[in-house]
Parts: sequence; C-alpha cells; structure tokens
Amino acid sequence: MSTYEEEHGIQQNSRATQEIGENSQEEQRRQVRSQLQGLFQNFGSSGGEGNRYSDSTLLLQLLSQLLPESLQEEWLQEMDKGKNAGCPDSFASSLPRINKRKLKVTDNCSICYTNYLEDEYPLVVELPHCHHKFDLECLSVWLSRSTTCPLCRDDVMGHRIINEIDTTEAELEEDWGMYG
Amino acid sequence: MASLPKRIIKETEKLVSDPVPGITAEPHDDNLRYFQVTIEGPEQSPYEDGIFELELYLPDDYPMEAPKVRFLTKIYHPNIDRLGRICLDVLKTNWSPALQIRTVLLSIQALLASPNPNDPLANDVAEDWIKNEVGAKAKAREWTKLYAKKKPE
Repeated sequence: MSTYEEEHGIQQNSRATQEIGENSQEEQRRQVRSQLQGLFQNFGSSGGEGNRYSDSTLLLQLLSQLLPESLQEEWLQEMDKGKNAGCPDSFASSLPRINKRKLKVTDNCSICYTNYLEDEYPLVVELPHCHHKFDLECLSVWLSRSTTCPLCRDDVMGHRIINEIDTTEAELEEDWGMYG
Repeated sequence: MASLPKRIIKETEKLVSDPVPGITAEPHDDNLRYFQVTIEGPEQSPYEDGIFELELYLPDDYPMEAPKVRFLTKIYHPNIDRLGRICLDVLKTNWSPALQIRTVLLSIQALLASPNPNDPLANDVAEDWIKNEVGAKAKAREWTKLYAKKKPE
C-alpha cells in the first residue's frame, strides 16, 4: 500500500523536514503562531464593510475552532489595548499646573493616594473641564492608555476638539466682520 | 518582585481597619498582591445567607489596570461563568485608577443583588434566567445552599 507521501512524490521533502534541527522547528512554530495571530486579529477586527475577506466570518469560526480559548482571549485583549489608545504624550504636560499654595494638607492624588504636600515640590495638574486634580506623573501614565478622567470619566479629548471648533468659528466671524 | 506600591499598602490597611460590611479581604502572607475574599450574599437575593469565596489579584500595573477577580465558590448567576469569571464593566473597559479593591468588591456584591441576563457571560444561565426567572432563582438559591458557606446565625 502506498502512502500519501509516495503517491504525491514528496518523500524527499518529508525527509528534509525531519532533518531540520529542533531550533528551526521552534522557529517554525513561532512563525505559524504569529501568522495565526495575525489572521485571527485581522478577521476579528474587520467588521463587514470594506472587508477584503468576504467570507471572514466563516474563516474566523474555523480559526476559533483550531485555537484554544485562552489564546483567543489573550489575542483579543491585545487588540482591545490597541484600540483604547490614550491621549497624545503632549496632552498631560500641557495641562494647567496647580500652585502649591492652593493645595490643602489633606488633598491627595486619587491614583497613588499620596498627599500632594508630602512632596516639597508637588507637580499637580488639573483637567480643564471637570477640574479634577492629580499628580502629573500619575495622570500621564493613565492618559497614555485612556482619554477619560479617572474620577468622573469625562472624555478629556472630546472637549478639546469642541473647543478647537469653537475658536475657528469665532475667527471666521471676525473675518466676515472685516469684509462686511 | 518590585516593592509594594504605597497605594496598595494604604488600601490593605484601610480594608483591615475599616472593613466593608459583609465583605472580607485578606492579603496572602507570601504575596501581598493576592487576596482571599469573602462576600456575603445580599439580603432578599437568591444568594442570601451564603458566604462566597473569591480570589483577587492586583497585577503589576495596578492601579492602571483593574484587579483580577474570580469566584472560587460555585454560583448560579448569568454574569458569572462556571470558571468563576465575572462579567462586570468596571473590571474591564470601565476600570479607572480612582476605583479600588473596596469599590470593586462592592460592585460585585451589587451584581449579586441585581443580575444582568442581557449582558451574559454564562449563556445557558442567562437564557434560563430570561425564560424562567422564578425557576432560575430557585436554582441559584439551591446552589447557594449546596456550595456557599452558611452565614453564622
């Protein structure tokens, strides 16, 4: 009885594969894994419209059956992290700083729980719309992954965009005044 | 392992000195980021009179990342799966570093008082809950008797 390999004349290849050392097998495994991850995340994120894989749902289902649940979850979480990207780095450092004299002894940062005045030179910033205060250092880390105020969930970037529109409109009106 | 952030020490102290009614949380001796938790089932819920055990872990990125919490006691609830994983917004997308162990555990207690079968984690339980709420609650009560520790009289 002839085997699959004999029938397809690929015996040579299979022997070659066997000769590949353990290291490159590990390497291959890693490559396959990263290719699978790419496929999975691609299909998972491409929602219907403008999707070049027309049958992506079916493929995703197939892939899901091949992959262990824990791995799928890990990859999905990775995607979520990418999606919830925060504010640009410059945002936190551009926030208004609070003068030490305006801080009370009991005021503390709700991220690290440290009283601001324990530090001789506290670097405290205030969010422009909700006026919640935090250590600049603590808030910067949070805003690198989110755009919301830790205390009231106010979308800090949302306000900024509205403001920009407001100023352009004001400028436009001024221009009209000049020509009128 | 990096030293324990001051915030975690403060939170732990407060949990011991000023505990939340119906909730206990004790850090493990060998790992101060790992807490053994118990939550009393809320009154007038199917979990009444049961004490549920949970484990809570503070990841390295805490408080920028939410604590990881899991039920150890078996529980029949549409937002808790059979592995004890909890579907709760503040543990996932709605986490904020201004939240803390205390508020998370209170949210879980509130979830026991008001299950949300429209955002399920345990699909079969949620289906049961929607189709036959009385029956599902009876089963939840039965599981509480079977698996949760009894609240001392």
